[in-house]
Amino acid sequence: MDSSGTTLMDLITADPSSVPSGTSGTSGPSANTSTTSSVAAPPSTLGKPAAQTDRKSKRSTLMQIHSETISVAKALNPVKTNIMPQKQKKKPVSYSQLARSIHELAAASDQKSSQKQLVHHVFPKLAVYNSVDPSLAPSLLMLNQQCEDRSVLRYVYYYLARILSDSGSQGLSPGGGIPTPNWDALADIDAIGGVTRADVVPRIINQLTKEASNADVEFHARRLAALKALTFAPSSNNEILAKLFEIVFGILDKVADTKQKRKKGMFGGKGGDKESIIRSNLQYAALSALRRLPLDPGNPAFLHRAVQGVSFSDSVAVRYSLEIISELATKDPYSVAMAIGKLLLPGGALQDVLHLHDVLARVALARLCHTISRARALDERPDIKAQFASVLYQLLLDPSERVCFEAILCVLGKFDNTERAEERAAGWYRLTREILKLPEAPSVSLKETSVESKDSLPPKPSKDKSQKSRRPQPLIKLVMRRLESSFRSFSRPVLHAAARVVQEMGKSRAAAFALGVDIDEGAHLSVYSEATDSLDTDLNETSSHSEASRKASSVSNGTTGKDTVASLLASLMEVVRTTVACECVYVRAMVIKALIWMQSPYESFEELESIIASELSDPAWPSTLLNDILLTLHARFKATPDMAVTLLEIARIFATKVPGKIDADVLQLLWKTCLVGAGPGGKHTALEAVTIVLDLPPPQPGSMSGLTSIDMVSASDPKSALALQRLVQAAVWFLGENANYAASEYAWESATPPGTALMMLDADKMVAAASSRNPTLAGALTRLQRCAFSGSWEVRIIAAQALTTMAIRSGEPFRLQIYEFLHALSLGGVQSQFSDMHLSNGEDQGASGTGLGSLISPMLKVLDEMYKAQDDLIKEIRNHDNAKKEWTDEELKKLYETHEKLLDQVSLFCYVPRAKYLPLGPISAKLIDIYRTRHNISASTGLNDPAVATGISDLVYESKRTPAEPDTLDDDLVNAWAANLGDDSLWSNNATAMNRVNEFLAGAGTDAPDVEEENITYRPSVGYDDMWAKTLLEASEPEEDDARSSGTSSPESTGSVETSISSHFGGMSYPSLFSSRPSGYGSSKTSERASAPGASRFSDPSVGSSASMFEGLGSPRYESFENPLAGHGAQSLESQDDEPSRSENRQFGKALYDFTAGGDDELNLTAGEELEIDYEVDGWFYVKKKRPGRDGKMAGLVPVLYVSQS
Amino acid sequence: MLLAVLFFNLEGNILVERFHGVPAEERLHWRTFLVKLGSDNLKGAKNEELFVASHKSVYIVYSVLGDVCIYVVGKDEYDELALAEVIFVITSCVKDVCGKPPTERLFLDKYGKICLCLDEIVWKGILENTDKDRIRRLIRLKPPADI
Repeated sequence: MDSSGTTLMDLITADPSSVPSGTSGTSGPSANTSTTSSVAAPPSTLGKPAAQTDRKSKRSTLMQIHSETISVAKALNPVKTNIMPQKQKKKPVSYSQLARSIHELAAASDQKSSQKQLVHHVFPKLAVYNSVDPSLAPSLLMLNQQCEDRSVLRYVYYYLARILSDSGSQGLSPGGGIPTPNWDALADIDAIGGVTRADVVPRIINQLTKEASNADVEFHARRLAALKALTFAPSSNNEILAKLFEIVFGILDKVADTKQKRKKGMFGGKGGDKESIIRSNLQYAALSALRRLPLDPGNPAFLHRAVQGVSFSDSVAVRYSLEIISELATKDPYSVAMAIGKLLLPGGALQDVLHLHDVLARVALARLCHTISRARALDERPDIKAQFASVLYQLLLDPSERVCFEAILCVLGKFDNTERAEERAAGWYRLTREILKLPEAPSVSLKETSVESKDSLPPKPSKDKSQKSRRPQPLIKLVMRRLESSFRSFSRPVLHAAARVVQEMGKSRAAAFALGVDIDEGAHLSVYSEATDSLDTDLNETSSHSEASRKASSVSNGTTGKDTVASLLASLMEVVRTTVACECVYVRAMVIKALIWMQSPYESFEELESIIASELSDPAWPSTLLNDILLTLHARFKATPDMAVTLLEIARIFATKVPGKIDADVLQLLWKTCLVGAGPGGKHTALEAVTIVLDLPPPQPGSMSGLTSIDMVSASDPKSALALQRLVQAAVWFLGENANYAASEYAWESATPPGTALMMLDADKMVAAASSRNPTLAGALTRLQRCAFSGSWEVRIIAAQALTTMAIRSGEPFRLQIYEFLHALSLGGVQSQFSDMHLSNGEDQGASGTGLGSLISPMLKVLDEMYKAQDDLIKEIRNHDNAKKEWTDEELKKLYETHEKLLDQVSLFCYVPRAKYLPLGPISAKLIDIYRTRHNISASTGLNDPAVATGISDLVYESKRTPAEPDTLDDDLVNAWAANLGDDSLWSNNATAMNRVNEFLAGAGTDAPDVEEENITYRPSVGYDDMWAKTLLEASEPEEDDARSSGTSSPESTGSVETSISSHFGGMSYPSLFSSRPSGYGSSKTSERASAPGASRFSDPSVGSSASMFEGLGSPRYESFENPLAGHGAQSLESQDDEPSRSENRQFGKALYDFTAGGDDELNLTAGEELEIDYEVDGWFYVKKKRPGRDGKMAGLVPVLYVSQS
Repeated sequence: MLLAVLFFNLEGNILVERFHGVPAEERLHWRTFLVKLGSDNLKGAKNEELFVASHKSVYIVYSVLGDVCIYVVGKDEYDELALAEVIFVITSCVKDVCGKPPTERLFLDKYGKICLCLDEIVWKGILENTDKDRIRRLIRLKPPADI
C-alpha cells in the first residue's frame, strides 16, 4: 500500500513489532475499512468539515461526542482508561479518544499511572494534530492546578500555548499536523455544551497571568513557562498585551537593576549563588517575552529596560536585548545612542558582547552599530558615530562567518531590503578607505584623546595573546582575506553566503561608479603595507578555532607587497570563479550573480560569458534559478546602463542555451530596457544584439556537438524547440516594434517628401538609397524580410506584421520598399529569388507561395489607401494652386475626414502618435492644422472626441483656442512612446514580467517557490482526509462515512463541491493556487495573453490613452492569427468592459435562515441580515455583511439557498 | 524571521512542521518544493551534511539525520549561516532525545519530546535556546540555569 495512505497517527500508534521500522505503509491495511476507504480523498490541510448536506449528521455526532466526553469528565472517579486496549487492536487512536483520555486522566491526575499515560501516550499523540480543541482547556487547567509532575506540566503549558495561539482558523495555526476542524464552529452547532475559544481563553489567561506573577522562588520554573505560554496569545488583543507588559515590566523592576557584572562563561550562572541564578532566569524570561511583544518606540521605560538587558548574564537575554535595541535604533537612533553610549566604553557591556558566545547577539550588535554610525540624527556627534563604527569594524574580525559577513554587509550599506544607491556607494567608499584601529593597540591609543580611560582598563582576556602587534588595517584587506578563506570552505552555506557577500559588494561598487564616487582602485594601499604581517597573525589567531580551511588564507600572502583595491579584487574574483565548480547549483547561481555584479563595464566579459555558457549546458539548473540570474542582469543594467550591450550578449546565451527554461517576457523586458538605456550611440548595437537570435541556425535535434559554444542553439527536446520558436517570434516582434526607435527614423520626422520616393521606383536604387540613409533600419528590414520567407509559419506571420509596422512608421524610401516587398510576398512571386536562403522546415508553403496572402492583403490595402490619398491630395493642391483659390471649409473637412479615417486604420496595425502622424504626408500638415484650429479639434483625440463629433465644440470653444497638444509633447518622448519605450511605461507596461523584475529589484518576495513538475511529490502524512471521516465519525456512523468517501470520486458529490470551493478560495488545490498568485502564472496568465494583444493593439491609440496600449507590450505572441481587422475589435471591447460591469452588477439579499460557518472561508448568518452578494460559485454566494457579525467576520461564503436575492 | 522548520521521512512524508508567517496557501508550495529539493540532492548524503538553497530572498538549509530529513527556512537575519546554526541546534537536540541519529520508528517514539524541544528552540519565528543542556532542562520544566 502506498505510504501516502498512512497518517502520522497511524505511524505513531502502530505496534512497532508488527511494523518494520522505516516502512510506514503496513499499518494502513490493519485499520478498519472506513479508514482505508477514505484515505484516497484529496489532502486538505484546511480540514474543512464536509459541505452542507453533511451538516445535520455532523451535528448529531458532535452532540454525542460532547455529551460523552463531558459526562465522562464529570464522573470524576478514577477510571481505567481505554487507550491501551485500542493500541493492542492496532487501530489508530482517534482525536476523540485522545480528548476523552485527557478528560479522564485529568480527573485522576494524582495517580502515578495516569501521569505516566499522559506523558507517554496521550500528550505525544495529541501533538500530531495541528490544533487543540478548546474543550480540552478545562481539563488542562485542572491538570495545571493539581498535577505536580513536571513532565505533565510541561505538556500542559505547551498545549495551553497552542490553544492561545490558535487564531480560530485551524489552517493558520503555526503547528502543522493532522488538520482539525474549526472548533468554534463546531461548538456553535452544539448549542448546549459547546466550548469555544472565547469561553476558555480568558480562563487560561487568568490562570497563566496568576502564575507568571507568582514571585515564589520555588515556583519560578513554572513562572517562566507560564510567561512563555502567555506570549502565544494573539498580539492583536490589547487587553492581553497590556497584561503581558505589566508582568514583564513587573519582573524587570525586580530583577533588572543589578550592578553585578556579567560572569564570563557560556551561561553565566554556573557556580553562582541561588539568588543571582534565579534573577538571571527571570531576566531571560522577561526579555524573551519582551522580544515577542510589539516594539514601543518613544517609550523611555521600554528603551531603558532593553538597554539594561545588555548587561544581563544570560546570553539569550543579551541577544534579545540587542535585537530590541537595534530595531529601536532604526526608529530613534538618537535616544538609543544616548542610552547605550556608556555601555560602549571600553569595559562596558557592549564590548563584552564582542566576546559573547551567542552568534546572533553579535549579529544584532553589528546591526545596531551600523544603524547608529549611519544615523543622520547624530550628525552633530561624530564622536559617538565613530565609536560605533569602530565596534562594527572590529566585528569584521569575528571568528563566526555569520557575524563577519553581517558586519561586511553593514559596512557596504546593505542593511535591509531598501536599496539606496547613495548609501551603497558610501558603503563601497568606506570599505575601500576606512581603517580598522583596534583600541587595545598602544600605538593607536596614544593618538586618541581618551588615553587614560583606555590604558586604565585591563585588556580583554581572549585577546591577550594578540595584544602585542595590533596595528591599523585597511578594511578592504581584512574583508578580502576573510572572503577568500571562506571560499575555501567545504560548507555549502558558507560558500553561498560568501558569494552573496561578494554580490552585495558588487552592488555597492556599481552604485559608487554610477554616482561617480571617486575611488581609484589602482592606488596603492602601501601606506599600511607594513602592517600586513601583523594582520595575518591577527587573522590566523582570531579564526584559528574555526574551520581548518582557514589555514589556506596564507596562500594570498604573496600578494601583500603592494596591494591595490584592484589587485585585491582580482585575487578575490579568481577564488570566486573557482567556486563555480561547486556541486550545489544554488551556490553556483549565487557565484554567477556575484560575477555579474562584479563585472566592470570596462573589462572584457568573455570569461564571464563562457562561464555562463558552460553552466547553462548543465541540465540540473532549475528554471527559477535561471530566471533569477536573468533578473540579476536586469538589476545590473539598472545600476550601470553602460553595460547594456554586455548584458544583452549574456542574455543572448540564455535565449539560445535554455530557451525552454526562461521566462520570455522577462527576457524581452531586458531587451527593451537595454535598448532604451543604451543611449543614442548604443541603440544600434543593442538592436543588433537582440536580432542575433534571428540569425541563429535552427536547432538541430540530437546534436550534442558544441554544447559549450554560445552560438549553437541547444534545443534538442520538443519543449525547448517550441520555446526557442516563441523566443524567435518575440525577437521578430521586438525588431518590428523597435527598429524605428533604434534607427531614429520616423515618418513624422522624415525630411524626405513622399514624392521623392516615387522617383525611385527602381527597386535596386531604392535599396541603395535606403541603406545609405539609415543602415540600422535597412539592416533590420533585411532581417525581417528574411524571416518573412524562411521562418516557421508563426514567425513569418509576425515578420509580416512587423514589416507593416515599420512601413507605417518609416518615411520614404523605406515605406515603399516594404510595400513592394509585401506585395510580392502576398503573391508569392518573389520567393524563387530567395529560395537559396529558404531553409525548408518540411511545411507545405501553400498555394500562394507564402501562405500569407490573406494576412497581408489588409495591410497592403491600408498602404494602398495611404498612397492613393496622398496622390489625391497632391492633385487637389495642384488644382487649387492652379486656380489660385482658397480651400473651402467643406474641402478641408473632407480632407480632414480622410486624414482621420486613415489614422484610424493605421492605428489598427500599430501605435503612431496621433497628434503628429500624417498619413497624407507632410504636405497635408498645414491644411489639417488650419481645419483643426478653425474647429477647435484637439489633435490627440481628433474626431473621436465626442464634443467634436457632435459639433458641441463649435459652440463651446468658439472664442478661445485650445492649446495645441503637440506643442506640449517632447519629441523624444513621443518617439519613445511610438516604440512603446516611454520611460514611465517601461516599468508599468508588462504586468507579469514587470512584477517579477520589480519584486526582484526590491529584494522582496518570500512567497512560495513553484515546482515545475506537475505531480506533487510530497505526501502530507496528515490531511489524507477530514477529521470527520477519519476519526470522529468512524465509530458511530460508518455507513455515512462510506457514502462520503465513495462520493468523493464522483463529480456530483458533496466532497467535490467542497474541494472545488476550497480550491477556489485560496484552498489547497495545486493548479488554482498558481492562478491566484499575483504575478500570474498558469491559466490566468494565458488568458491575459489572449486578450492583451487585442485590447492593446486596437484600443484608441491616442497619446492620452497610452497606458492602455502599453499593457500589451509584452505580448508579441498573438494567439489568434485571423485577419486582424475582423474579430479583434469586438473582443477588446468586451475585455475592457468586463471589469466595470462586474462591479456594477452588485446584488443585495437577505439571509433567510441562520447559518453556521463550517470553515474558514464561510460566514455565519443570522436570519434577516442584509447582505451584499459579490458573486456565486458552485452553489455558494460570496457575500459581505453591512456590519461585522458576532465573530467579527464581514465577508465569506454562504449557501445560495440561505439567501433571498432582492 | 524563521519561516519554517520541517521534518520529513525519507519517502517525503511530513513528520513535523512548524510554520511561522507563511500564509496557509503557500505552505503547500513549500512542502512540495522542499521535498523535491531533498529528493534531488539528499541521495547518499552524509548525516548532518548541510545543503543550501534559496528562493528570492528566502534561504533554505537542510540536512539528513538518520531516516529523517530536516529543513529550515528563513529570511532576513536568518540567512543561510544563521539557519546552519539553527539546524545544528535542532539536530543536536534530536540526537540528544533519541540517543543517536534516529530511525523513523525511534523518531516517532520520541515525537512528543521532539515537539517540546522544537518549542524551546523556535519560539514565534525567532531562535530561542541554542544550548542542548539548557533545552533538556527546559523540556522538563526546570529553570534554564540550574540552582
